[in-house]
Amino acid sequence: MVTELAAPFDMSLPSASKNLKVLESAGLIDRAVSGRVHRCTLDPERLREADGWLEFYRDFWHGTLESLARFVEEDEPDPGKDAAPTRATKNKPRQRP
Amino acid sequence: MSIEPQTNAQSEATLTLLVRKTIKATPERLFEAWTTPAQFMQWWGPPGVTCPGVEMDLRVGGAYRIGNRMPDGNEAWIVGTFERITPPSELVFSWRMEHVDTPPERVTVRFDARGSETEVVVFHERLASEAARAQHQAGWFGCLDGLVAFLAD
Repeated sequence: MVTELAAPFDMSLPSASKNLKVLESAGLIDRAVSGRVHRCTLDPERLREADGWLEFYRDFWHGTLESLARFVEEDEPDPGKDAAPTRATKNKPRQRP
Repeated sequence: MSIEPQTNAQSEATLTLLVRKTIKATPERLFEAWTTPAQFMQWWGPPGVTCPGVEMDLRVGGAYRIGNRMPDGNEAWIVGTFERITPPSELVFSWRMEHVDTPPERVTVRFDARGSETEVVVFHERLASEAARAQHQAGWFGCLDGLVAFLAD
């Protein structure tokens, strides 16, 4: 019930209701109305899809930042890892395309 | 998997995403790698995705285009305009798929110095359910069979 769902949050019943409407319009919850009582049910399949969609972009950005790290770290080797860092390696020209 | 059209969800339902990585380089070096097309092409994209080309008009209001060649050979271009340019610490730009008529998303990239390293923070906001559907149709998400909406009220 909406009152139960709103209870743990520091928000009014109308704003809880508004949030639920967004979730409902997004297909993440189902609502059954019986008189004045609205019962909301999670749709786990839709939540899984939501997570899958976010996961795609999360992987995209993680992978892209990994690539960026490889690019700039190759360019400027970490002297701590390399036993023989020389001025020559530090001053080598930037990578060219 | 079929998704019912839900026109009433599109204006409000958006996703946001925050990704961070600490990299052994200065903010200046990272800003340069991001804003110099010849360098950008060499690193852009996760494994399997290559960048066939990039154009950047690096000024506020200036446009950019980023090519993405997917593992299946499809190309998807991301386009937008720069909204804020603060070397070497921040870039803000709009983001949408070319030829797809959806509201633009927004990406903020920050380069925060952490001693001798830099934390790169990518904040991608306004990821919308309708954009997801359109992008899926455009072939950007070849392997993604479901889409979504969420709330970020």
